[in-house]
Amino acid sequence: MLTVENLHVRYGQIEVLHGVSLQVGESEVVAVLGANGAGKSTLIKTLIGWLKPVQGECKLNHEPLDPLPAWERVKRGLAIVPESGRLFRDLSVEDNLRLGAYLHRDEDIRKRMEVVFNLFPALAERKKQIAKTLSGGEQQMLAIGRAMMSNPRLLLIDEVSMGLMPILVKRVFKVIEELPQHGVSVLLVEQNAFEALKIVHRAYVLENGHIVLEGKPQELTDNPLVKAAYLGG
Amino acid sequence: MLLLQNLSNALILACTYILMAAGLTMVYGVLKVLHIAHASVYTVGAFVGVLVFSWLGNFWLALAIAMLVSGIFGVLIYRSTYFYLLNAPRTVPLIASVGMFVMFTDLLQKPFLMGAYQRAFPAGGAGLSAIKTALFSFTAKQVLILLVTLILLVLVYIILTRTKLGLSWQAASMDREMASAVGINLNRSIAANFFLGSALAGAAGVLVGVYNNSVFATMGDLPSYKAFIIIVLGGMGSLPGAILASLILAIVENFLVASVGYVLPRDSIAFLVLILMLMFRPNGLLGRE
Ligand SMILES: Nc1ncnc2c1ncn2[C@@H]1O[C@H](COP(=O)(O)OP(=O)(O)OP(=O)(O)O)[C@@H](O)[C@H]1O
Ligand SMILES: [Mg+2]
Repeated sequence: MLTVENLHVRYGQIEVLHGVSLQVGESEVVAVLGANGAGKSTLIKTLIGWLKPVQGECKLNHEPLDPLPAWERVKRGLAIVPESGRLFRDLSVEDNLRLGAYLHRDEDIRKRMEVVFNLFPALAERKKQIAKTLSGGEQQMLAIGRAMMSNPRLLLIDEVSMGLMPILVKRVFKVIEELPQHGVSVLLVEQNAFEALKIVHRAYVLENGHIVLEGKPQELTDNPLVKAAYLGG
Repeated sequence: MLLLQNLSNALILACTYILMAAGLTMVYGVLKVLHIAHASVYTVGAFVGVLVFSWLGNFWLALAIAMLVSGIFGVLIYRSTYFYLLNAPRTVPLIASVGMFVMFTDLLQKPFLMGAYQRAFPAGGAGLSAIKTALFSFTAKQVLILLVTLILLVLVYIILTRTKLGLSWQAASMDREMASAVGINLNRSIAANFFLGSALAGAAGVLVGVYNNSVFATMGDLPSYKAFIIIVLGGMGSLPGAILASLILAIVENFLVASVGYVLPRDSIAFLVLILMLMFRPNGLLGRE
């Protein structure tokens, strides 16, 4: 469904991604693991269209993404949970969710909102609360909820587990694990390799802007390098 | 009695401020640009209004067409200039805006456009009647201004709070990048924002033109900085703030002129209010943070 070929991305003169290639298949959950500064967020930002690659190609269902602005990508089924949430701070929980389904009809919005509220009852109790007054964890839930509102085909997630308590991390990962049953593919970048590797179908390891490893979770957890770097020995 | 009459005069003045400042506030909210050339849109609105009125003799038609043309003019300003400066430091569009304002004012003064003279805009009260009570009175012209402002404000309120378009402006004002990543076509959303804001400025131009029975190329000079004072007072990008600031400024102007007489020129009062305000509430009346 998603193919990335030889992607090079720069900030000014400094190149951060040096020829990244990866794929996400239909109904597949894929993780990109990497240390701080490896270029994970840069990858996600490029895929949603916030950054323009200097070289390389991204395709969604064989259609090149690169000429499309972010909103056109959303129309084609992408959704993003960006690093640190990026909520619409002064708007209510409800309005944030409504915006998540901006391209959908009102009836759909109500239905999708129920789904999100079932997933995160904490949000249901705070429909009218202003986003910036939510706790860190609640904000993260809202960011995930907002992305789910558009019923995406491919969900891009930047550090989903950040700021969530362990039980919520488990719940969110469980939700992600079940997304393929609803026809949703997921690309998530994570530092929490331990939890991520439990639910993904495949994973890549990104180091200093290069993909250095790729494999099934089992292969990666058995890999001594991964063990040392991401799974705490 | 005099007090109430002064208040009702202030209300009329406030109406024109509000229409002008509302558009500016909307643009500031989404682009974070102080759109000085907004005052050119106001002048163009008045000009188109007076032309259409002299051809067709119908005020309402003149108002509608003036708003439409002003709206389109605003969108053209956006697409030709600010659109290319979206990611530039904020001083860049500001300077561009000042440049456009000066250019348009010069251009409008050319003989083939408005020339250097005043045109009468004798639309009167457009068929409305005056209101007289024991306590205060409104002339037909004042009733017209009140009515048009009220209708337009209700319209704006509905668009802002009840439509997806309004929600998209709010989202864009908080995080433009994220707004595009939930599927908002920013080009269209911002253009619509300019259209509505500019149409309001055009309406303000028409109303002031009719009220003073005079339309001229430099009529935007005063509103250009007054509208500014109002959005700074109101708290940059807050529409309720802009409305409140318009009322306060109009009341202060009216009462100071009435009581202190002409010790101070009327228009310097606006700046005095601004300076005092910034000393005590640097974020404006209803500003955030
Ligand atoms: N706007 C920017 N301008 C210049 N350099 C940047 C910018 N954003 C990121 N970088 C640099 O690019 C590199 C990759 O950053 P990126 O945010 O993609 O890392 P990451 O893998 O997401 O890290 P983390 O796990 O800490 O979130 C870093 O060295 C960072 O300093
Ligand atoms: Mg990151």
